[in-house]
Amino acid sequence: MSEQMILTQTDLAERFPGKVRRDERKGYEGYIVEADALLQVAQTLRDEMGYDYLSSITGVDYLPDGYMESVYHFYRTTGGPALVLKVQTPRDHAVVPSLVSLYPGAEFQEREAWDLLGIRYEGHPDLRRILMWEGFAGHPLRKDWREPYYEEDAKPFKSRWPDGHVYRIEDKNPFHKNVDYPPDFDPDQWVADNDAALYASLAKIQSTLDSSLKTDTVIVNMGPQHPSTHGVFRMVVLLEGETVRALKPVMGYLHRNHEKIGERNTYIMNMPFTDRLDYLSSMSNNFGYALAVEKLMGIKPPERAEYLRVIMAEFTRISNHLFAIGSLLNDLGAYFTPMLYAIEERELILDIFEAVAGSRMMCNYFRFGGVARDLPEGVYEKMRDLAFERLPRRIDELDLYLTNNEIIRARCEGVGVLTPEQAIAFSASGPLLRASGVPYDIRRADPYSIYDRFEFDVAVRYHGDVYDRYLVRLDEIRQSIRILQQALRDLPQGPILAGKPQYQVRVPPGEAYGRVEAPKGELGFYVVSNGKPNPWRYHVRAPSFVNITALETMAKGNKVADVVAILGSIDIVLGELDR
Amino acid sequence: MDWASLAEWTLKSFALIFALLGGFAYLTLFERKLIARFQVRIGPNRAGPFGLLQPVADGIKLIFKEELIPAQADKIIFILAPIITVVPALVIMAVVPFGPPIQLFGRTISLQIIDLNVGVLYIMAIASVSVYGIVLAGWSSNNKYATLGGIRSSAQMISYELALGLAFTGPVLLTSSLSLAEIVEAQRHIWFVLYQPVGAFIFWISTLAEVNRAPFDMPEAEQELTAGYHTEYSGMKFALFFMAEYIKMIAVSAIAVTLFFGGYRGPFVDQVPLLGPIYFLLKVVGFLFLMVWVRATLPRIRYDRLMAFGWKVLFSLALGNAMLTALGVLLADMFQNSLWLWSIPVTTIAFFLLVAYLMRGSIAGGNR
Repeated sequence: MSEQMILTQTDLAERFPGKVRRDERKGYEGYIVEADALLQVAQTLRDEMGYDYLSSITGVDYLPDGYMESVYHFYRTTGGPALVLKVQTPRDHAVVPSLVSLYPGAEFQEREAWDLLGIRYEGHPDLRRILMWEGFAGHPLRKDWREPYYEEDAKPFKSRWPDGHVYRIEDKNPFHKNVDYPPDFDPDQWVADNDAALYASLAKIQSTLDSSLKTDTVIVNMGPQHPSTHGVFRMVVLLEGETVRALKPVMGYLHRNHEKIGERNTYIMNMPFTDRLDYLSSMSNNFGYALAVEKLMGIKPPERAEYLRVIMAEFTRISNHLFAIGSLLNDLGAYFTPMLYAIEERELILDIFEAVAGSRMMCNYFRFGGVARDLPEGVYEKMRDLAFERLPRRIDELDLYLTNNEIIRARCEGVGVLTPEQAIAFSASGPLLRASGVPYDIRRADPYSIYDRFEFDVAVRYHGDVYDRYLVRLDEIRQSIRILQQALRDLPQGPILAGKPQYQVRVPPGEAYGRVEAPKGELGFYVVSNGKPNPWRYHVRAPSFVNITALETMAKGNKVADVVAILGSIDIVLGELDR
Repeated sequence: MDWASLAEWTLKSFALIFALLGGFAYLTLFERKLIARFQVRIGPNRAGPFGLLQPVADGIKLIFKEELIPAQADKIIFILAPIITVVPALVIMAVVPFGPPIQLFGRTISLQIIDLNVGVLYIMAIASVSVYGIVLAGWSSNNKYATLGGIRSSAQMISYELALGLAFTGPVLLTSSLSLAEIVEAQRHIWFVLYQPVGAFIFWISTLAEVNRAPFDMPEAEQELTAGYHTEYSGMKFALFFMAEYIKMIAVSAIAVTLFFGGYRGPFVDQVPLLGPIYFLLKVVGFLFLMVWVRATLPRIRYDRLMAFGWKVLFSLALGNAMLTALGVLLADMFQNSLWLWSIPVTTIAFFLLVAYLMRGSIAGGNR
């Protein structure tokens, strides 16, 4: 397998001479592709070499070197490591061909890179801003972009009272508030037109609808204030009667530019910051980020820390899936009863997190090369009791009451179908992918940490509908319990941190993509270091964000009520979606 | 008409309306407490002992809340709609007897506002009026969710009223009267639910749809339509919709009790007439408990499936039930032997099982 991989990798540079070259920079991997050859290379990757899964697209602004880079991580759904492609393009005219025609899953990620970095993806069907609003000045992730009340490029900021004299940063700013209006701009007269493009794209679909009856369509905005969008998320739905003809997700209402803030922070400062991404499963977020930085630093955590990490990650998965099932049932109209039964178990898991990390949701438990604290007294017994006694029983109970309920089956079966081919093409991950019959679990396909030691099955179902997504989550909880039982049985004694705890870690220059199988799907952290205390680039490949790409395909032709169920079955969290 | 009977009617009407309004207030508390128990919670317990003052607090909050009327709304209809919804809910109980006649101040007072000889028809007619309020509310709000909710509501009502109407025919055929007092009197020895198990079942399901309760709460469908037809309503106008729903819950429970569960009848009612209202109340509370239980347990059915269920299953069941009941009554008449009435439950249950068998999987599941 790995031999063949090397073979194909050497092939790539030879196969496209002059167009593809190895990335020779120190600490970097993959290939640098000329922009005009990208589509051709990607086609070869997909059709001939089996790299059918485009995991992540992002950009990096190499300001000192004067170019931008668009970075692609390809994987095989049969398993194995990544193949990384990079396209370099000048900063002032950043244009790269779009991969949407080959990998539809690139749609939102390319829009994100355009929005935040200003890389124009030529050939993208609907290249609008996605997280910022239409009319926002500039592209905030560019290194020369500065926000209002800008202080410094990197934390820790200098003292605000150097000589005992306190000043406000607002007063020091030469532009006062650093607002930069166009010449004839009058804020009182200005009306937001950011939805014009959105409605225009829907009107295009509206005009193509073929109806023999004389019917009319109606556009309904579900959200941003809506009880079932799991936060401030908006779906603009084109309805014909109650049937969905088109759907455009609108997001970014909670956008805080996580990545820009992350690039200001020092490495260790980002650890608690990752908690805020998918705030229901902060341990998994920690895990992904720790993996990426550890890859850069070239260190490995000690045995006991690895076990603790796996235990926490699996508990997180259980609590997240319980919550997901509960809220799916809520979306189906069950009045909170299944939700509260699920939450009851989740509370017990959060008790454990509170005991080990000091916080129930924002755990901040992982450190580079280990974990922050060892288990306090009595927690091990509690975990054993949960994993061996209570959880298996309660999961069976949920299964008994929910799985064969007539209404649930009627509402979920055959609704929101995603075929395996579509799921792969849309870069879906996690339960969404596995419910479509693709047994792709990073813990198995590209094992990280010590997952190769445990015996568990990759949960997979084959209908690709809402019901199967529910079942996959149930199966995964059971598999997580299996892993927990093994990990708790084998948990060794020993140190929990490689080296001694430090506030400032030294990270050698280079790039790393650390990805974990988070409860919601593939969570990737792309970190670029230039040797300074702050990451040069810190990108989050959020599973909620990429999974939502497939929403329109799943929702088309279904009823309004189903849209809510389908959204619930993807299991999104807005903290991660909007970042 | 003398002044005494006028005074009697007035007093009885006032008593009934206050009982319903008080019942509404405490029904909300009853529901919240009960659902909390179903969900391993405690429920409201801050206002007063055991949260008993919670309805008062809610009422005060709703009265003082600002009432918004959307700029583009049709104002007159917008204001009229909650009234159209709540008034039928209040007057529907007028024909329901909640106790045997009692002697008071030398007068015989029947515990019923009026014994209409077409009481069942009256109920059918009045119950259908309130859907106008819902549709008009949805339409006048000038809101897409509200309109969708209103349209759903009208479609749902039409498809369930047929089954509901046919379920009424069972007791009517057995009593040969449309008067509710006579229907109760006919159940002196045996509750009609024993003759009409399928009819009672259909009646109960369709009333759930009639009063928009889970799992048929399509018109409000919080998860899909935010709040459906009352999305734009706030303050007291919203409270009126709320009130209508809960009073109708009480009303349909009372009607179900009257038609199928012997009304106020129970042991020793003839000796101690005041036991009548108590039995009646207990039976109604039992039905309310069932409604709350269903809400705490089941997810919502999808709109199109609800229609399919109403037209394909419930309607055919109700038709068959009415026919078989008529047959049973006819046989009992022909042979002058009321034992023939027992053919009704036998044949209807057999018919029910047949339909259930034929329809298995066509409503739930089987769609992939």
